[in-house]
Amino acid sequence: MKTEVNDFDRHMAAATFAEAGEFETATEFIQEGKDGVKREKTPAPATRKKPYAGMVIFGAVSLSGYAALMTHQDWVSETFTTGGWHAAYPVVTAIVFSFIHGAFASNLLSVLGIEAKK
Amino acid sequence: MKKLLYIILGVFLILPMVTSANAGGPPPKDIMKGTFLNVDDRARTATFQKVGNKETMQLILGTDMKPSDVRVNKKVMVSLDKHAGENVIKSIDIMFLDMTIKRIISLLVIGLIGGLLSGFIGSGGAFVLTPAMMSLGVPGAIAVASNMCHKFPKAMVGAYKRYKYGQADIKLGLVMASTAIIGVQIGIKIQKYILNHFGNAGSNLYVSVIFMIVLVFVGGYVLYDAYKLSKGGDDTKISRLAVRMQKINIPPMMYFKVAKVRISAWVTIPVGLFTGMLAATIAVGGFIGVPGMIYVVGASAVVASATELIIAFIMGAWGSVQWGLSGLIDIRLTLLILAGSLIGVQLGALGTTYVKDYMIKLVMASTMLIVAVSRGAKIPGYLADLNLRPALDPQLAHTLTQVSYWALVTALASAGLIITVAMVKGMMQAKAEAQMGKIVSHG
Repeated sequence: MKTEVNDFDRHMAAATFAEAGEFETATEFIQEGKDGVKREKTPAPATRKKPYAGMVIFGAVSLSGYAALMTHQDWVSETFTTGGWHAAYPVVTAIVFSFIHGAFASNLLSVLGIEAKK
Repeated sequence: MKKLLYIILGVFLILPMVTSANAGGPPPKDIMKGTFLNVDDRARTATFQKVGNKETMQLILGTDMKPSDVRVNKKVMVSLDKHAGENVIKSIDIMFLDMTIKRIISLLVIGLIGGLLSGFIGSGGAFVLTPAMMSLGVPGAIAVASNMCHKFPKAMVGAYKRYKYGQADIKLGLVMASTAIIGVQIGIKIQKYILNHFGNAGSNLYVSVIFMIVLVFVGGYVLYDAYKLSKGGDDTKISRLAVRMQKINIPPMMYFKVAKVRISAWVTIPVGLFTGMLAATIAVGGFIGVPGMIYVVGASAVVASATELIIAFIMGAWGSVQWGLSGLIDIRLTLLILAGSLIGVQLGALGTTYVKDYMIKLVMASTMLIVAVSRGAKIPGYLADLNLRPALDPQLAHTLTQVSYWALVTALASAGLIITVAMVKGMMQAKAEAQMGKIVSHG
């Protein structure tokens, strides 16, 4: 469905440019669909918006998780080491924490401007 | 994302087929968890209550134990000395240490650098985390268990990031991991055989010798290769051994898309087996898995180190379940290391996009060689334990222990430094290139 809409957009854009006499641009739009090459829709902005919100939200959730852990450490240590099916406690907790804290770390690095080479 | 789901599905399919595929061997069986209710100084006995048990039992203090070693009303781990008789205590460890600020900061810092190394070369961190935790006072079994439980989510995040950068070969990772799991079983069998025949000291000596041989030979070769490449060698050239291996045309042939390798399953299987055997022996399978994938299978260092993270995830997940069943994971330690290592692993992963292939080999080789020194410093002590040489002078023994520990710290610190410098250089170069590009296009 998405591709049809895109195709429709592309053809409309081509028609607009063709009407305005910009034949080259119009053919470029048509070509793009034929060989499946995607063109950048809009020129990339000079600086991408930094994920401050993500960093703050995930950071807050992660931090409160750590605070809860440290304030309830006796109970946590006791329950999590009972063994048997309780093994699920530490394993699941580790996974959940990695998603939340991992997302925070990822956003933090983006905010600091440290990103992978394109 | 869809492929990531395949990995997780694959893991769950593999898991039921194995019984104890965890690096470093299975959890110890002769350990009891519980609390001491009282101590009798004269009779040298203590009343002990096991976790989940209402009944109490009388334990006898070992010959070199003092009644003051028994901490009453605190959760402890007791290991028994089977050779000294029934219910004789060998050692007592407090299960849960109080978290002091110093301990918390140490865990965060070690986690961060360990994660950086892991994201960059695919393994690492674990070999220094366990001894580091033990030096903070964590009992050995708890250190191994908590470390394992931090390793697999970290490897998962690292593998996902590097998969997104197009570096991880999922199929190769799954094939290697499934064969490595079998290798772990073989490794444990050998360990048990040695333990039964030569005792604890013999087992320690065996582990250290294997560690030294593998690390010095493989590390030395990787260093030589990295040196050659840094002098202007062809980064994309694959090793002669791998070229020869790829010519072996015995079905089933496998094609690995990301690694761009077509190779017989009969070549990948032994590499996986050795990775697993080493993982069971020295707890760091990556030190053979990554060079194996580079020099025998013929993947690039970037792909090999990324793929190693998938293997670490699968093996670590299973190991954690096993140690969790014995109730030995201290989740506080796990999560504190994770706090630093999840940042480190992503930093290390994105660092690989800025550096040349040989840089990964260089970091790997230098880490392996310094870790070899650490392990080598322990060999004289083990030889003395086996009466193969005269007992060590206490001063010398102390120095060797210090050398061993600080070599590990140096390995971690130097690797962290090389990665950071290489990454910053790469980023500055990329920025300068981008600037140039702008000037040219606008000019």
